[in-house]
Amino acid sequence: MHIFANPKRFLSLATWLTPMCLVIGLVMAGGALAYGLLYAPADRLMGETVRILYIHVPAAWLGMGGWTTIAVASIVELVWRHPLATIAARAAAVPGAVFTAICLITGSIWGRPTWGTWWVWDGRLTSMLILLFLYFGYIALAGAVNREGASSRIPAIFGIVGAINIPIINRSVVWWNSLHQPPSITLGKSAIDPAFLWPLLIAAVGFSFIFGGVVLARMRMILADIQTEARLRRKALAA
Amino acid sequence: MSAIKPKHQRLVLLVIALIALIGAGLLAAWALRNQASYFYVPSEIVAHPPEADRAVRLGGMVQAGSIKTDPDGVTIHFMVGDGKANVPVVYAGIVPSLFVEGSGVVAEGRMGKDGTFVADNLLAKHDENYVPRELKDMSGAQAKAVVSETSQ
Amino acid sequence: MREALDQWHFVAAAYAVGIIGTLGMVGWSWISMRRAEKRREKARRK
Repeated sequence: MHIFANPKRFLSLATWLTPMCLVIGLVMAGGALAYGLLYAPADRLMGETVRILYIHVPAAWLGMGGWTTIAVASIVELVWRHPLATIAARAAAVPGAVFTAICLITGSIWGRPTWGTWWVWDGRLTSMLILLFLYFGYIALAGAVNREGASSRIPAIFGIVGAINIPIINRSVVWWNSLHQPPSITLGKSAIDPAFLWPLLIAAVGFSFIFGGVVLARMRMILADIQTEARLRRKALAA
Repeated sequence: MSAIKPKHQRLVLLVIALIALIGAGLLAAWALRNQASYFYVPSEIVAHPPEADRAVRLGGMVQAGSIKTDPDGVTIHFMVGDGKANVPVVYAGIVPSLFVEGSGVVAEGRMGKDGTFVADNLLAKHDENYVPRELKDMSGAQAKAVVSETSQ
Repeated sequence: MREALDQWHFVAAAYAVGIIGTLGMVGWSWISMRRAEKRREKARRK
């Protein structure tokens, strides 16, 4: 019953919220990236490659944010049995995986001129790569549940268990000596000059809007698929 | 009815599972504490020198004024320190463009018999500070102070 | 000997990856959403 009560309200909201999030996000992120590429200063040591940070850092935050979304939605699904939570968890997987991949690739491109290597197996890089594989596992598992009709609680449990990787990624540069630098931005203070920080924060907010818009679009897609299937099944029964 | 609501029962179960999971994760991270480190710092190398010819990584700060280039123009000598100990390093090859005095470095190689670290490969380690080029004439410490003042 | 790489090549490559990846994801998600909603309308009308 409440599968049909809630999606109605969600859909009336998502119809205008989806394009709004995407447009705001594309404008903000696009503007911040253009500023970062053309006007932001070069770094004292890194030089021009500091500009890669405007993509790399928001992508890293959203890659981790995507799994956090999956984990929180999975908890809501398991405890409160809210059907929209299941859909939200599924919808966050693809954008999370894409941002994690963007983070890894741009980080590798940054590492070559900065560190002198494309890749090292240090704590931060390895745990981020594990996150990408967790996303692949989750997407495959959710797809299998859809096709085979197994319990949707299996991906939810996987989503919660996999969340243990998120604090490990976050703390990896503090716990272990790593080639990756320690966090520059911690609660209340930043070791990043304001000339870099502002475009970075605007890019991060913009990419977050894009992330939100993509999650909403994918929720609408999953919901429409479920409703189509339910409708066709009822028709087949009636015929 | 004295039974707990199923919703609450599920919540309690989940909380217990989460605590177990976080505990397991912390334990694993603690166990990996030494294995997962990407490099040793000079004071660790000095306190427990690795056996010669075992491949290790040494990471620390390139000490100011310590980079010396041999007449062949390729071999360089420098000191890597962590504030407690210094290890001399010798390296022959192309250095990354961010390899400068007062900045971080990770050297891959092995400990020589004379106490000099022979590096096969150098990686530049960047720190967490991002400073525009206009400030580059200041010393690192001054620039850090400027950043921390202006970003409060 | 110091390595001398053109940093702008790396910046351009990273921006290309970030922008193509993001726009591709947005476009793909939007189109598949519209398709799924069209299928639903069709199933309703029939």
